[in-house]
Amino acid sequence: MELRPDRKEIIRYLGYRGVTPDREMLKEIDLSVGELNAVVTPRFVYEKFDLTLEETEKGKERLCFAGIEVCSRDLSVNLQGCTGVYLMAVTLGPGPDLLVRRASIGRMSRAVVLQAAAAAMTETWCDIVNERIRKEAERDGLYTRPRYSPGYGDLPLSLQKEFSRILNMPKEIGVSLTDTLLMTPSKSVTALIGVSDRPGNCIIKRCAECASSADCMYADLSEA
Amino acid sequence: MKRDLMERLGKEWLLCDGGTGTILQSRGLKGGELPETWNLKRPEDIIDLHCGYLRAGCDIFNTNTFGANALKFPENLQEIVMAAVRLAQEARRRANREDAYIALDLGPTGKLLEPLGDLPFEKAVELFGEVVRYGSAAGADLVLIETMSDSYEAKAAVLAAKENCDLPVCITVTFDEKGKLLTGGSVDSTVALLEGLHVDALGVNCGLGPDQMIPIVKRLTEVCSVPIIVNPNAGLPRTEGGRTVFNVGPEEFSLRMEEIAAMGVHVVGGCCGTTPEHIRMTAERVKKLPFKEPVKKCRTVVTSFSQCVEIGGTPVIIGERINPTGKKKFKQALRDNDIEYILQEGLRQEDSGAHILDVNVGLPEIDEPAMMAAVVTKLQSVLALPLQIDTSDPAALERGMRLYNGKPIVNSVNGKKESIETVFPLVRKYGGVLVALVLDEEGIPSDADGRIRIARRIYEAADRYGVPREDILIDGLAMTISSDTRSALVTLETLRRVRDELHGHTILGVSNISFGLPRRAVINSYFLAMALQSGLSAAIMNPGNEEMMEAYRAYCALANLDPQCMRFIEAYAGTQDRKPAASASQALGTPPAAGSPAAAASGGTSAMGLAQSVERGMAESAAAAARVALTTTSPLELIDRELIPALDKVGKGFEAGTVFLPQLLMSAEAAKAAFDVVKESLQGQTQEVKGRIILATVKGDIHDIGKNIVKVMLENYGYEVLDLGKDVAPETIVDTALRENIRLVGLSALMTTTVVSMEQTIKLLHEKKPDTKTVVGGAVMTQEYADAIHADRYAKDAMATVHYAEEVFGKK
Repeated sequence: MELRPDRKEIIRYLGYRGVTPDREMLKEIDLSVGELNAVVTPRFVYEKFDLTLEETEKGKERLCFAGIEVCSRDLSVNLQGCTGVYLMAVTLGPGPDLLVRRASIGRMSRAVVLQAAAAAMTETWCDIVNERIRKEAERDGLYTRPRYSPGYGDLPLSLQKEFSRILNMPKEIGVSLTDTLLMTPSKSVTALIGVSDRPGNCIIKRCAECASSADCMYADLSEA
Repeated sequence: MKRDLMERLGKEWLLCDGGTGTILQSRGLKGGELPETWNLKRPEDIIDLHCGYLRAGCDIFNTNTFGANALKFPENLQEIVMAAVRLAQEARRRANREDAYIALDLGPTGKLLEPLGDLPFEKAVELFGEVVRYGSAAGADLVLIETMSDSYEAKAAVLAAKENCDLPVCITVTFDEKGKLLTGGSVDSTVALLEGLHVDALGVNCGLGPDQMIPIVKRLTEVCSVPIIVNPNAGLPRTEGGRTVFNVGPEEFSLRMEEIAAMGVHVVGGCCGTTPEHIRMTAERVKKLPFKEPVKKCRTVVTSFSQCVEIGGTPVIIGERINPTGKKKFKQALRDNDIEYILQEGLRQEDSGAHILDVNVGLPEIDEPAMMAAVVTKLQSVLALPLQIDTSDPAALERGMRLYNGKPIVNSVNGKKESIETVFPLVRKYGGVLVALVLDEEGIPSDADGRIRIARRIYEAADRYGVPREDILIDGLAMTISSDTRSALVTLETLRRVRDELHGHTILGVSNISFGLPRRAVINSYFLAMALQSGLSAAIMNPGNEEMMEAYRAYCALANLDPQCMRFIEAYAGTQDRKPAASASQALGTPPAAGSPAAAASGGTSAMGLAQSVERGMAESAAAAARVALTTTSPLELIDRELIPALDKVGKGFEAGTVFLPQLLMSAEAAKAAFDVVKESLQGQTQEVKGRIILATVKGDIHDIGKNIVKVMLENYGYEVLDLGKDVAPETIVDTALRENIRLVGLSALMTTTVVSMEQTIKLLHEKKPDTKTVVGGAVMTQEYADAIHADRYAKDAMATVHYAEEVFGKK
């Protein structure tokens, strides 16, 4: 399968902040996407679980799914009104990491373009799997919420361990965690997607919600 | 009296058991509960599980230890494993099946090994080894490693089994529907690796149902010489009411397994979703089929973790450039531990068309085993070509072979008794294709008869040590014709006779033939063509040598080894033959090849100036401009007046937001190309270094792109960077700072989870070497964070780090 990432996203990851790169750079970007497509092995795994939201003693909300409990204000907002949640994990496999490492030997300018392109391609792959989940939910008469990942907002990164265990990520898609909870291969994403019987806000806000977007080199100025 | 498993394996049908996890789930195992805990909590259920399979007719059944390792059971691993074997023994007794074999089941650790992940290879060997020691002591009959989807982890498990017990070792791996392991290995590469490690049987399990496994099984039967095991799932899984169910029932499964067994398989069973009924019906059908014993395939295969090179068909090229002999710069790189220089040499050869890379890092004053280990693992983290481990130091050879992910070429053994006794046991243990030099205690025979005699002796030694003959490459020894003009003919005759009389494969260090002569490339390329025509299977040479590559590609095209001449056309379409009429300069020296960028750039008068080339990030043009400028300007002047101002201009643009990261780096690379030219002209003179700086990505963090960007920029501005890499322990950083008396340390961390190690590093540095400054950066880093962990400076990007370095060392 060929992944066609949004070139604008790659440019944004490269820190261009709304400026259009010259033709040489655009060519370099396209070349990188082509090279990456030759080495990616996109894989995914997801599973749907029932979701309940409970009030804790301290008035906080507790989310229960897949046999685990999570306290997160931000995720509670995201999953408001949901009765179920999909856990998904995707990866592009070890190929992109090898290409980036290879370019890092003496050609860092290539390495950063490959890195940005691979990041954008991971998002593209996420979108494809997300769409598959959306369609599946639709068949059950359910609406999906924007996907949300461990490490966003106050959702702890330690949730990665649960993802890895519940989805059996090492075996299913070849993604394992380091002791410090980093995913290897690095071009991998885990996310939660809430489902509800009511349509809801499905717009994914990114930079607009982030406090540091003002001086962030990756800021998406088109959102402002 | 129970018959030995090895007397039956590959001689008659044997049945494995089926799924464990799915059955335990049906008995109430909860999601997230570790199945191995039932060895202690619910022993009767485990005994029942085994009894079900034993009564169904399986001959080999697995202990409930798939996930048992010290990572998951740090407290009571021994108890869990010993109990598992005891329960299996009890089941065997109750089912009255004392003839059945207890397989100590080893599954993956769930961690990815270095360099892809963070589990060191030797740690993985230790984790598996511990389980093997407990399981074999408790009375298991064999070790069955299963569900491996990473060749490197598979190798660690096999070594652990072989080093910790004398039981038979079998292994099954999991391929996806394209026939690939999760880390990229193919059926061919996996079989070569595992047969090299001398497993007693190998095959596939899990991941796929019998239908999807058929193409993989077909390939296995074509390449595999040892008995083949096939344990599929009961089809593909789907979720039904929160439960995983499989779609192939016992009847259908047994029909498919009958088909698979008839393809030339030797052991069959099931995996996820299969039940005793699946196994019972399969046993019934399969045991009626005629049994075909495994057939030796006699293929000569060299592999990496993902690539596979077969020797004996189209001749292969082995790049010889990773070798310090006669290379001043390379020797210095080894002394300086400059592995990047060595990696670049590897990448260049891959780009030039090498199929395999020779790795020789021998230098008397360095720790060769450590260097071999570092270079082999680093090379395998940036390229997928198989490697040839080349050393005369047995310790370095063993380190390299042990850590190598794949089946390497080993260079070399010779006819001397001592060499045979040292090298063959290593090849027998780790697997490898072995280069055999036809010389012995008496020296190099001057005629082909003598060389063939030694070759025969080496083949006989291979038989004695249990190394397959096809894994020997006879090196016919090319000796320069400048001292004996018969020598090429002797070598060629040796090649022919190895092919025709011994039916073996050959290898040759081709370039030796012209030592001491002018225009060596001419002699080398003709000799290469003659050697290929005489049956040479593998040429050790410089793939950057155009004449030799031309000879190679032309030979392949002429010998009908290049279908439709596609590879020849791909290499040379659009290029032209060299002009017969030589210009004065061509007749005198070694001009750049016509049409090469260097020729175009240096020849043209309209070439861009140095500053402009750097600003526009054009490396070749910058190097050419520097060369021209040096004819009129002094090196130092060129640096101060042109290079540094151009870099500053780009740096300022970056800070102002008009130049972007890729451009900044391209300019840096252009500047580096120019600096390299300047350095050459300064040969002999010592160069000024503005300061020495340690850079490291901290412990636990494996993202190093940010650190590498900073490194490029600092080097550009004249600093020497001691790059300690990624996942670096605080102690390593502090010890290096103390030993090298370093004044500035740059640390990078990408995640909040790893900023902790950054803090620890700074704390330790403050204790042990308080005068050293620290600068920190990385995706999650902020000024507040930097203050909180007491860093001296937060750098938001590479230029900010450069500015801080100027502050610390004083801008000149």
